[in-house]
Amino acid sequence: MATGHEHWHERGEIYALGALDGQELKEFEAHLASGCAICEAYVRETREALLLLHRSITPMTPSPSIKTRLFDHIPSDKVAPLRPKSAWRRWPIITGTLAAGIVGAILSGTLITQRYEPRHSMYSAIIELLRDPSTRDLPLYGAGPTPKATGRFLWNESGEGHIFVTNLPAAPEGKMYAVWTIAQRSAPRYVGTIKTDAAGQGGLHINVARSDQPVETFAVTLEPVGMTAGPTGPMVLVSKPT
Amino acid sequence: MPADQTIAVHLIQKVANQDRDAFSQLYDRFSSLVFTLAMRMLKVRSDAEDLLQEVFVQIWRQAQSYSVQRGSPEAWIVNIARSRAIDKIRSIRRMERSFVLTDDPARAESSDNVESSAAESEARMAMNSALANLPETQRKVLELAYFDGLTQTEIANRLAEPLGTIKTRMRSGIQRLRDMLGAQAV
Repeated sequence: MATGHEHWHERGEIYALGALDGQELKEFEAHLASGCAICEAYVRETREALLLLHRSITPMTPSPSIKTRLFDHIPSDKVAPLRPKSAWRRWPIITGTLAAGIVGAILSGTLITQRYEPRHSMYSAIIELLRDPSTRDLPLYGAGPTPKATGRFLWNESGEGHIFVTNLPAAPEGKMYAVWTIAQRSAPRYVGTIKTDAAGQGGLHINVARSDQPVETFAVTLEPVGMTAGPTGPMVLVSKPT
Repeated sequence: MPADQTIAVHLIQKVANQDRDAFSQLYDRFSSLVFTLAMRMLKVRSDAEDLLQEVFVQIWRQAQSYSVQRGSPEAWIVNIARSRAIDKIRSIRRMERSFVLTDDPARAESSDNVESSAAESEARMAMNSALANLPETQRKVLELAYFDGLTQTEIANRLAEPLGTIKTRMRSGIQRLRDMLGAQAV
């Protein structure tokens, strides 16, 4: 191992453990970003050694339903393979023309269906939520940078809910409004992203798996786009006055 | 490279091409590992299940970024899981500090439960496990960092020990793990 790196190796070990913080963390990250292959390899080796820690715990098996839920969330992104060229290659032109005619005939109906049916389904779902006596209806209060924002949160412990917001300005570029439910003794759970229109109004229907613990707090925070692991930004709405 | 690691690398490469069958096999190989870690870190089953799902969604989306040069598949997957779990643990602490019923005795109890949970996990450990072979002081700081997401400064505050002492214990503990790993490889 090259000399002069002991100082960095000390930090690299604690970095690999995830425990480096403060100025030392900034300096070490800058050092790694400078392209130090020695430290990068050292961190990698340390992580391999740390694997022994979790191998010390008695293994647990997740419920099979998690795999089903996971595969429901994974989009089928595969592009359909192209058909081999053949003597029938003119058929697509003919069928395409016919299809165009059919599409033209049903286009208006499709547009109406696409435009109104989802909205109708959502209204129906909200009505069903309101019909259920176990659904809670909680006011949301503006907080932090948006004290004038208000909202309502309909929530059923089955994991279905709906949030309405008012007076919440559109999220700045590169940011989003993340919606969280917080159950006792649990991490805040990301349940969706809400967008608002020019008037500051927005809504989001939520359908997630039931939580083990009853949800006690509902919140909306302003987050960098894509941040769904846990809230990091300011809270803009919360179900209890702060 | 061990045969099972070669198979895992191959599966990740296929997942990078959006192969759902390979993804299913990869899940079967590593879901228990991720779930066990998630349960140890988050302590609540529904949170651990959420984390398991999030980790595999991330694997599905980022499989093309994996290369053997980044470490073994196990280390890569565990690193994703730990990073996300630590984000969640730290967000719980932020929430507790900011608005979630900080005077709620049940929550206060949960945040103080770290050491008792560590004791429970200790009881479950096999006698020849890596953790069981570490001195108590080293094991404790490694557990607080690795499983509970505490930084070196937070551990020093919690244990009321100088930061330098904590660093030394961490490094000694890691060195022992390196030695054990080396001995296993021989």
